[in-house]
Amino acid sequence: MENCYDLLIIGGGPAGLSAAIYGGRAKLKTLIINKGAVGGLVNATREIVNYPGYLKVSGPDLMKDFKKHAENVGVEFLKDEVISVDYNQVLKTLTTRKGKQVSAKAVIIACGSEPRLLNIPGEKRLRGMGVAYCATCDADFFEGEDVVVVGSGDQAIEEGMYITKFARKVTVIVLHDEGVLDCNKASAERAFNNKKMEFIWNSTVEEVLGEENVEGVKLKNIKTGSSSILDCQGVFFFVGMIPSTSFLRDSGLEIDQKGYIPVNDLMETNIEGVYAVGDNRVKYLRQVVSAAGDGAAAAVAAERYIEEIENFNAKVLKSDKKVLLLFFNASVSESLQYGAMLEEIVSECSDRYEIIRVDTATKKTLAKKYHIKDIPAAVVLDKGEKIKDLEISMDKEKMKFNLFS
Amino acid sequence: MPLHQLDDDSFEEIIYDNGEACLVVFSRKSCHVCQEVVPVLEELEYKYHGKFGFYRVDIEEQKTLFQRFSFKGVPQIIFFKNGEYQGKLSGKVEDEQVEEKISNTLD
Repeated sequence: MENCYDLLIIGGGPAGLSAAIYGGRAKLKTLIINKGAVGGLVNATREIVNYPGYLKVSGPDLMKDFKKHAENVGVEFLKDEVISVDYNQVLKTLTTRKGKQVSAKAVIIACGSEPRLLNIPGEKRLRGMGVAYCATCDADFFEGEDVVVVGSGDQAIEEGMYITKFARKVTVIVLHDEGVLDCNKASAERAFNNKKMEFIWNSTVEEVLGEENVEGVKLKNIKTGSSSILDCQGVFFFVGMIPSTSFLRDSGLEIDQKGYIPVNDLMETNIEGVYAVGDNRVKYLRQVVSAAGDGAAAAVAAERYIEEIENFNAKVLKSDKKVLLLFFNASVSESLQYGAMLEEIVSECSDRYEIIRVDTATKKTLAKKYHIKDIPAAVVLDKGEKIKDLEISMDKEKMKFNLFS
Repeated sequence: MPLHQLDDDSFEEIIYDNGEACLVVFSRKSCHVCQEVVPVLEELEYKYHGKFGFYRVDIEEQKTLFQRFSFKGVPQIIFFKNGEYQGKLSGKVEDEQVEEKISNTLD
């Protein structure tokens, strides 16, 4: 099938691109589906100074390198947006906005996040008329004017400093007490030393004012409760991000209240063969370097998952004989003993069975599928269909009875 | 297909002289939101071929054209009919919003 892949990656930011590089290197047929420019939100970052190996690099330049690397290992790209997913089959199917259907053995969700809106009066109405969310895109429209920045995280402070290159004055509205910013210390120090930057503490923005264009903001001091009006021509909102996971709402995928996808350390979601990486998963640190790490882990987990499934299909489904799936773990000596006895019985008395061993230390998928909890365990399959769970006994005669009855 | 790009002269001709019912998206290469919005329009253009015009203006290349409008940001999608301004959409928009505006403009 033309639209069938080993690995589908939704999103082309650093997490998705890293997963793709690992997938491509593992010879998986890999496709990235990405709706905007490859690189995702990193493209909005002018300067990255903490990605190892790069003293200072622009977001778009770093992402160009990631993309080139992915292309170099044979990854394919599709510019489109995934609007619905079907995770119910072993082969996962995605439908795009342009009506294309693609399927894959494993899916990695790396669709990132988008700026959070405050939903205050005037914010939506005056968007593009003074209300802005991206300094790289819009800062130079405020040459010589007064600009308000809302928020005090890395993005707010660093973007705010960039805006001072154009604006006459940048006033930062901060929720916290005087002197407390959420951003990193180096940026805070630079911001405090920037003569064009001013701070208003313990305050929030209640409303964006203006008819055709932004003319000011209404501020509220959260300590005193008093309101005031500050004249300005622009307001930049940097009040955090929300995960772009709304298209997954009815997919059966577990998503937390805030929209983030919980995963384990293999980046596995609650659905087999579906992984989540980068900004859209529940995590501690959201940086390019941690996104890249996520992508690598998920791609390796997906590769092993695919191998296990394919091995199962090739050996178990195509076997002429009945298959004895023998679950063992080298650390459980009883399971090794049991395995040896089972081999003995089968080789002595029957050519009706073929034994296939599953090491539960590394292979998790089949153990989960057949609800294996204790080791040793064995399942009898015929053409892939389960006939019975073998009752475990360490007595040879009893074992024979269990097997042939 | 990339949208047809306008400069000062062709803008004048298409919008005001011909009075074509159309939209013009003002964008720039360094704007990642524009990179998401422009493909949405490229997709829609195909659907409205012959009924509604789709054009783009690169604000870096056509500074004077952009300065005619008092916009404070990109992307901006401006709707025109009979040489008259019909409305605009700013920032990140979905195809449904654009289609609604198109049908309002055509009514």
